[in-house]
Amino acid sequence: MNNECVSETLGDYVLVRLKGEVDLSWSREVRQAILSALGATGKVGVELSQVSYIDSSGIAALVEGFQNARGKGQQFGLVAVSKAVMAVLQLARLDRVFPIFPDLDAARSG
Amino acid sequence: MSARAARKPIDATERRALTFLADLSQTLALSLDLKKTLALAVKRIAGFMQAEAASMFLIEPGSNVLECKICVGPADILGLKLAIGQGVVGRTVAQNKPQVVLDAQHDARVNVRVDAETGFVTRSILCVPLSTAQGPIGALEIINRRGGGLFDAADAEILRLIAAPTALAIHNAQLAGSIGEQQRMRREFELARTVQKSLLPKRRRGKFPLIAVNLPAHEISGDFYDYFDLPGGRIGFVVGDISGKGLDAAFLMVRVASLLRWAGKEGPAPAAWLSSVNVELCKTMNNGRFVCAVVGIYDRRKGEVNFASAGFPPALLHDGAHFEELLADGPPLGILSEVDYGEQRFILGGRALYFFSDGVTDVRDAQRNTLGSAGVRAIIERHAQLAPEARLRALIGELRHLRLVDDTTLLLLQEPRGTLMYTLLDLKFPARAEEMRQVRAALRAALDGQEVAPELRDRLVLAVDEACTNIIRHAYCDCEPGTIALRLTRERDMLGFELRDEAPAVDPARIRPRDLSECRPGGLGVAFIDKLMDAWRIEPLPGGSGNVLIMQKKLVTKTGIDL
Repeated sequence: MNNECVSETLGDYVLVRLKGEVDLSWSREVRQAILSALGATGKVGVELSQVSYIDSSGIAALVEGFQNARGKGQQFGLVAVSKAVMAVLQLARLDRVFPIFPDLDAARSG
Repeated sequence: MSARAARKPIDATERRALTFLADLSQTLALSLDLKKTLALAVKRIAGFMQAEAASMFLIEPGSNVLECKICVGPADILGLKLAIGQGVVGRTVAQNKPQVVLDAQHDARVNVRVDAETGFVTRSILCVPLSTAQGPIGALEIINRRGGGLFDAADAEILRLIAAPTALAIHNAQLAGSIGEQQRMRREFELARTVQKSLLPKRRRGKFPLIAVNLPAHEISGDFYDYFDLPGGRIGFVVGDISGKGLDAAFLMVRVASLLRWAGKEGPAPAAWLSSVNVELCKTMNNGRFVCAVVGIYDRRKGEVNFASAGFPPALLHDGAHFEELLADGPPLGILSEVDYGEQRFILGGRALYFFSDGVTDVRDAQRNTLGSAGVRAIIERHAQLAPEARLRALIGELRHLRLVDDTTLLLLQEPRGTLMYTLLDLKFPARAEEMRQVRAALRAALDGQEVAPELRDRLVLAVDEACTNIIRHAYCDCEPGTIALRLTRERDMLGFELRDEAPAVDPARIRPRDLSECRPGGLGVAFIDKLMDAWRIEPLPGGSGNVLIMQKKLVTKTGIDL
């Protein structure tokens, strides 16, 4: 699976779709995509169902997005979290910090 | 009455008889070929007794049949067989008394059929037993006095005298023969034992994890063991116990040992290994014999043992403090061909695994009580502190002190102390984030090779990845990126991860895991390492350049399915 980071605009909602192994080699790109989505709209989700690996730099990009959104009263959530990502979130004790949604509909209405 | 007072003057006949007797005795005593000498002796007896025919019958050993061994005269009855008690000869032996027949044609004792078949006409018979201290061994018979006269009591007495040295010579020869037979058998048993011993593998020098001992209760053994190398650092092992004793059990042992070795040479799963040998044995074994055996494979790199048992006593797993009895049961080999065998598979770690034939538990003490499984455990516990080889010697020493009633075999599987460490992965790569995807893939594959559970595997990959990215980001931050060398090792159930860089020496005190309960972006990597590994440390390499990070993780060692 190739690494991919695509931002999709659905009305007032921006979904950042990630694919592949999120690691130091391109987590900077992920961080940038999340921050620019938050600059464009008040509701951002990161879709993670196709992510097979994430390291601490990837987690850091998510944490930074979450903290930014909270500071400005924006919505930020994780959508369709894969097992591999969930394991790392649990390890970092972040599984109860992020709003986590099973799918896009739940995320948009949440 | 003294012998001297009883003596009467010796007449010419008696003098002649004594001379003949002395000659005969000497000839028999000095004979180098008794069969030839006896034939000659019977001919001379016939001549001396003026008989038309003479014959000698001997009891076939272990039967009640008399066979004519020597025959002189017109009728050839060589090889004629009679039951003891049958006819004149049979009666002589049955009663151990001379028989005199004066009118053979009208005597119920005489078997006239022989005459009818040979055309010879029997008129009178004199038959005396060939006696020893253990009873008669045959009879000497003369027929028809030449010139038509009859045998009388004096003739019977002379024949009885002549029979004595003849019986003695035959008896001695038979004894000598059976002693020779015994010696021959002992030599053959010794040879069989040598062949058997040659089938047992040689004790390996150096740090080899298997040692075994076979103590036969008699000359030859129905027990055996074997071990042999398989590709990939694996070792196959076998312990077997043939039912029954003796030479045929020994031959079966040789066959089964070869069959087990042959079937195990590709390192099959133990259950399938036993099944294939069982099917083969069922084709040919139908004499009520069977074979109890255990076969297994020890994977040194993984430290994993997998075994299956066919009617063999449970194995004992000892961690120095506790015993676990391991059954991987199936019926003995050679009884039913449609049988499945169970397996026991687990990481051995530093523990000791004992396999023993039932001869070990059947050892008797002075009160004839069997040692039993509890007794075996007690002996093992007494010597648990010893290194494997010394421990096995001590166990055998105690067993020898007791009384072996059956063949006894003991096989011990345990990694010797300070055993080899295996390198599972050895990579050197540029310290660049783009390299990490491949490094993770290689590490995953190496851990999969150790059958580390996927969940743990992913966590270990994460920890190593974090360590590498820390080196990339922090250690090499102010200088030209160099390389990272990653080595994954395994020693028993301990995985070791070693990362070497060429970056300026770091201060180990500065690298501390952060508290995971605070939510902030940076510093997660060390926290992950600290949480996922059992132990880790970072040290600058001597010379001021380069650092080494060592991380360790112990794999859970539990018997059963959990690996």
